[in-house]
Amino acid sequence: MTLATIEFKGLTKDYGKNIAVKNLSAEVFPGRVTGFLGPNGAGKSTALRCLLGLVTPTSGNSTINSSKYHDLVDPYLHVGAVLDSRGFHPGLTARQNLKVMAAASGVDKKRIEEVIEMVDLKDAIDKRTKKYSLGMKQRLSLATALLGNPEVMVLDEPANGLDPIGIVWLRQFLKSLAKEGKTILVSSHQLTEMQNTVDDVLIIHKGELVASGNVDAVCAGRSLEQTFLDLTSKAV
Amino acid sequence: MNKLFVAELKKVIYLRSTWVFLVSSAAFGALNTSATAFFLGSEENFGMPGVDTVQGVESVYANAVSSYLFALIIGILIMTSEYKHGTAVATFLVSPKRHRVLLAKIAVGATAGFTVQLISYLVGVFAGFITLSFQENVATPSTSSLLNTLFACLISGFVLGIVGVGLGALIKVQVAAITGAVLWTLLVESLIILFFNDIGKYLPGGAITGVLQIEVGGPPSLDLEFNFLSPGASTLLLLGYAILFSGIAALTTLKKDIE
Ligand SMILES: Nc1ncnc2c1ncn2[C@@H]1O[C@H](COP(=O)(O)OP(=O)(O)OP(=O)(O)O)[C@@H](O)[C@H]1O
Ligand SMILES: [Mg+2]
Repeated sequence: MTLATIEFKGLTKDYGKNIAVKNLSAEVFPGRVTGFLGPNGAGKSTALRCLLGLVTPTSGNSTINSSKYHDLVDPYLHVGAVLDSRGFHPGLTARQNLKVMAAASGVDKKRIEEVIEMVDLKDAIDKRTKKYSLGMKQRLSLATALLGNPEVMVLDEPANGLDPIGIVWLRQFLKSLAKEGKTILVSSHQLTEMQNTVDDVLIIHKGELVASGNVDAVCAGRSLEQTFLDLTSKAV
Repeated sequence: MNKLFVAELKKVIYLRSTWVFLVSSAAFGALNTSATAFFLGSEENFGMPGVDTVQGVESVYANAVSSYLFALIIGILIMTSEYKHGTAVATFLVSPKRHRVLLAKIAVGATAGFTVQLISYLVGVFAGFITLSFQENVATPSTSSLLNTLFACLISGFVLGIVGVGLGALIKVQVAAITGAVLWTLLVESLIILFFNDIGKYLPGGAITGVLQIEVGGPPSLDLEFNFLSPGASTLLLLGYAILFSGIAALTTLKKDIE
């Protein structure tokens, strides 16, 4: 049995009376694409932000390679994250944005061209990112996450704003990363698409984990969408 | 630490607004010195020391210090652009140890403020010199007063760059922070120094005037009397402001959730 690379241990985050994530315990394994699924407001983004040390949990914790994000040495070289398409300065070009990140993390500048090529943004590399379309921003986010060549990727709705070609491209891209042995945790509510992408799922509803494990086992013959509806329509 | 400093410096250098504010700052300094030279050199200077007095000429050059506002603004930009554009997420992902990011930002704020004021001093003094060269019977300023003004420019740039970072961390909304800084510096602080001199001398603007070590007065007819702290005390006070606002930046950044 391989060891989990990402672990949530009783993670809880409340905003006053509103409990965004409730006692979430789950594991994510290397070499697999794990879908983090749940309806709007289920707590996916909050859980991922806790995992990445941006939000302080109320109780419990979460680790990557057995360390809290905060305690990782050179986290950027181990964990790549896409949180939303706003992670870079609109007044800077893609190249400048990536240069800033490379400088901060000590990544070789040569890597910039490589990741830009990986996400098909070569022609736009010297354009200011405010002129980017939503899909281009998503690709650039992905490039930013790949810069440190990390073995763990945490992606919050990376398919947002991608056209059908982009979505297919992303699916194949994530699968190929997993094949290299990387750990991919990807949140989404585009279920039909996810069905073709993920190996494992974590389904949360109103902050609580309602199902987890191998996607075929969880679905038990149903479509992912039907499974999801069955699980999330139940009163919690 | 060094890596983060370089990264933060790149952010400032790549931004167009940095250069716009740098040019504005130099222009503002030049405008202030040349307008003062023009005013004091004219017949209608309300009986203030003219350009034929050492005091008058020295106050012309001392006006080069006035663009410290732009050091403050650049400091504010360093912090608020992270929140405005959501880059704080990426910044803290690369370095989850937030105090390191903050130290780098404070260092870059100080460096940028220092540079802005150095350039504003050179341009301001040059513009004052040119304007004075069109006038007659112009007195010669003492070297020590020019050096004092240079020192006041550099320390004010250094400190206000840091104050800007702290202010930006506190207010977070860019327009609000910049508007507040402009109103404060150009209006509120000046009025306090004018009408409540005993309080005003302890404010950053009052302390900067204290560092300048020049006689400050209004037209004799208004019978205004100003007193400021000694240059040494003023310098210490300014450094105190830098420490205070670094503390504010730490309190408002180190623990808070990042959206
Ligand atoms: N900063 C915040 N302050 C208060 N409440 C918040 C904050 N961030 C999130 N929440 C609340 O926490 C809950 C979970 O939100 P979260 O963004 O994690 O959901 P999500 O699963 O990512 O939803 P979506 O699919 O719409 O992105 C929601 O009820 C939301 O209103
Ligand atoms: Mg979300």
